[in-house]
Amino acid sequence: MNEELDSQLSAMFDDELPPAECELLARRLSRDEALKARWGRYAVIGAVVRAERGVRLNAPLAGRVNAAISAEPALGNPVVGQPRPAGLRWWQPLVGGALAAGVAAASVLWLRAQGPLTTLPLAAQHRAGAPAAPVLDASAGSLANASYVTPATPALRPMLVPSTQLANYVVAHSMVSSPVARRNLLSSFITSEPSPAPEAQDPKDHASRTAP
Amino acid sequence: MSADVSDLSLVRRVQRGDKGAFDALVLKYQHKLVKLVMRYVRNPAEAEDIAQEAFIKAYRALPQFRGDSAFYTWLYRIAINTAKNALVSRDRSPIEYDLDRHSDESYDMQGRMKDSETPEGLVLTDEIRTTVNAAIDALPEDLRTAIVLRELEGLSYEEIAAAMDCPVGTVRSRIFRAREAIDRRLREVFEGGLGRAEELG
Repeated sequence: MNEELDSQLSAMFDDELPPAECELLARRLSRDEALKARWGRYAVIGAVVRAERGVRLNAPLAGRVNAAISAEPALGNPVVGQPRPAGLRWWQPLVGGALAAGVAAASVLWLRAQGPLTTLPLAAQHRAGAPAAPVLDASAGSLANASYVTPATPALRPMLVPSTQLANYVVAHSMVSSPVARRNLLSSFITSEPSPAPEAQDPKDHASRTAP
Repeated sequence: MSADVSDLSLVRRVQRGDKGAFDALVLKYQHKLVKLVMRYVRNPAEAEDIAQEAFIKAYRALPQFRGDSAFYTWLYRIAINTAKNALVSRDRSPIEYDLDRHSDESYDMQGRMKDSETPEGLVLTDEIRTTVNAAIDALPEDLRTAIVLRELEGLSYEEIAAAMDCPVGTVRSRIFRAREAIDRRLREVFEGGLGRAEELG
């Protein structure tokens, strides 16, 4: 047998082994019958040195306790009465994690899908669905005029509500709303429309729009 | 070195379902526990029964053991209570038994009365005792002093190192070498004794 191991066993018996080594040796001791027998003989040596008279040194007490304990349930087992198949336990945490991850991913995608619509002004959203802006173009009839460049809006998505429906709604609303409210609605509609980026705007177009 | 580390590491293993670790605890403390119970009952076989019951109670109660006290202290209390309960259930009064009042000879006679039922066991116990004592006598002085200070006086390695004026590592080595020398001869007795028991059986 390994002398170093036996030396550790002797020190562990005296409670003089460092805790980390104790953990490892306790694991081995509980499984190695030869080591356990040596451990038991160390106890016998101690009993003789202490002159523990009347104590039978070859008593089968340990074997009897072992036999009795064998019939007992092992400690640390799950509570009886809540049986769960052992094969199902390992993947249950994985399913929980996967569900949580799936919900989180769906939430992120949904928020990203909704984000631009909620942050952009209503007019910008409306224009995104209609590439041309004929109402603002003074030179009517030249819708296909290449000089009028609509700023690229790559982040914009098609509207969930069709532009025609939105226009109809605004018109219908203006019929029944009070003049003040109607003005507020129209003014907010106009002021919320962003001005195109200067660098993307054609000077000719600017001139045509500012012309009387 | 913190006290009770080795016992605690075994206890933690038992609490996690390792029954083999409990065997190690029983092997370590069975003689001490039987001797303790024999303060209440004279009969060694009866003391062993009570000690066995105490060990089983301890095993069942081990999930509640938190390590606030040393394992043996906890086991000691269980054994005392088990012995007292055994006496009460048998409608007997505890025997006021003072080991110091009795000579070794009379004490041996009390043990022999029960052991006479198992002469092989008695012979083997005597043989074990004789062998260990002879092995200790044959040890070099430094090894014998170290093992006796440890087992008889219960000194820690640090205390033994101070008493013997040597490093703690030397004490550990001396105690280990003493045990190995004794164990070599003891192993022969156990193996021979078991062989004779099988022949008788």
